Amino acid sequence: MAVGNVERCDKTLPLNEMIFYVRRDPALRARWLTDLEGLTREFGLSRAEYEALNDKDVRRLNDLGVHQYYIPQIMRLFYGAGMNTNNHPALEAYKRAFPEETARAMQLQAELDARTRS
Amino acid sequence: MAEIVAAMAATHSPGLTGWFTRGPKEHQEQVLRAFGEMRERLAAARPDVIVAFSNDHLLNWPINNTPEYTVGVAAEHVGPADWYDEWLALAKYRVPGHPALARHLVNEGARRRLALAYLREMQFDDGFSVPLHYLTPDMRIPLVPVSMNCTVPPIPTPERAYEVGTTMREILRAFPGPERIAVVATGGLSHEPGGPRYFWVDEEFDLWFLDLLKKGDHATLLRECTLERMEEAGSGGTAELLAWILVMAFTRGPAEVLAYMPAIAWRTGTGMVVWNELAS
Repeated sequence: MAVGNVERCDKTLPLNEMIFYVRRDPALRARWLTDLEGLTREFGLSRAEYEALNDKDVRRLNDLGVHQYYIPQIMRLFYGAGMNTNNHPALEAYKRAFPEETARAMQLQAELDARTRS
Repeated sequence: MAEIVAAMAATHSPGLTGWFTRGPKEHQEQVLRAFGEMRERLAAARPDVIVAFSNDHLLNWPINNTPEYTVGVAAEHVGPADWYDEWLALAKYRVPGHPALARHLVNEGARRRLALAYLREMQFDDGFSVPLHYLTPDMRIPLVPVSMNCTVPPIPTPERAYEVGTTMREILRAFPGPERIAVVATGGLSHEPGGPRYFWVDEEFDLWFLDLLKKGDHATLLRECTLERMEEAGSGGTAELLAWILVMAFTRGPAEVLAYMPAIAWRTGTGMVVWNELAS
């Protein structure tokens, strides 16, 4: 079958386990912003996982096998959650990571806008 | 014996509450009209309880242990989960549960070789929060939430979802009580949450899928709408339609499509359907 992106996920990656707990716990969410390195060490992340996180690098996170659903959640941990529109900084990181896919989508968006206006 | 009195399905994208006004005016109007229609049909069916099927967005279960199905058995549910309230722009709400029906589902499932995990405190993300907000704004109808794994590989197949739907239909109807039960599916349509095509919506797939529902031939839909086809239309998100396929097993014949929008602003193909005939 044509393997979808979600199947690139490494279910055993410590980062994939860590996000579950950080999202649920306000104390861990606060530490995310003040002591990311210490936090990632406690959860057993590799240096590569820490660096991709610290660089907020969507593409590298995806390549490392982070579950795709968790990547925007990771961006939200950095940038906040409110009004998560397509122009939110958490989403802007996506546009940089996947320029071709995003350009196609934005073109479709323009066509749809034209259609709903007419 | 309990009775199934309504079956419907809708998208649950967080944008429908979190940044609703960023969608085109025309889409906003369609959404409000379609949810209004669903609300009226639901009220007309006079359900005592709603059994809703959605997917867990890796909120209730960590990735090392993701059950295929999970039933919320609490006497009262509270949502949205802390991490989700700001994102969804929703105030905290409380909705009664139906522990007797929920526990019947879990135990009777086991007797029929269907493994159902359960949670006494299920956390609610957009999956249940968005449809509840629109369909039962007063939060008075008791709810049995059933979450599904549609996103952590291996993703179950449509055939499997339909088979589980058939078993659940038998189990719910065998509940020793006079309950009138509405079944509601939430999720889909095409989208790829967090993947490279995060901003993409596959309108062609969505219209094709809705057309299969309108034709109402379940065997054809299951044959044509494979997991591969869903993944192609948006990986890790389109397969939320497994909830729709599960609910389809409670019905017979064509679905009525109330609305469809390729809503890139909300990052999902957005649609609402109701079934007018229920399986006997």
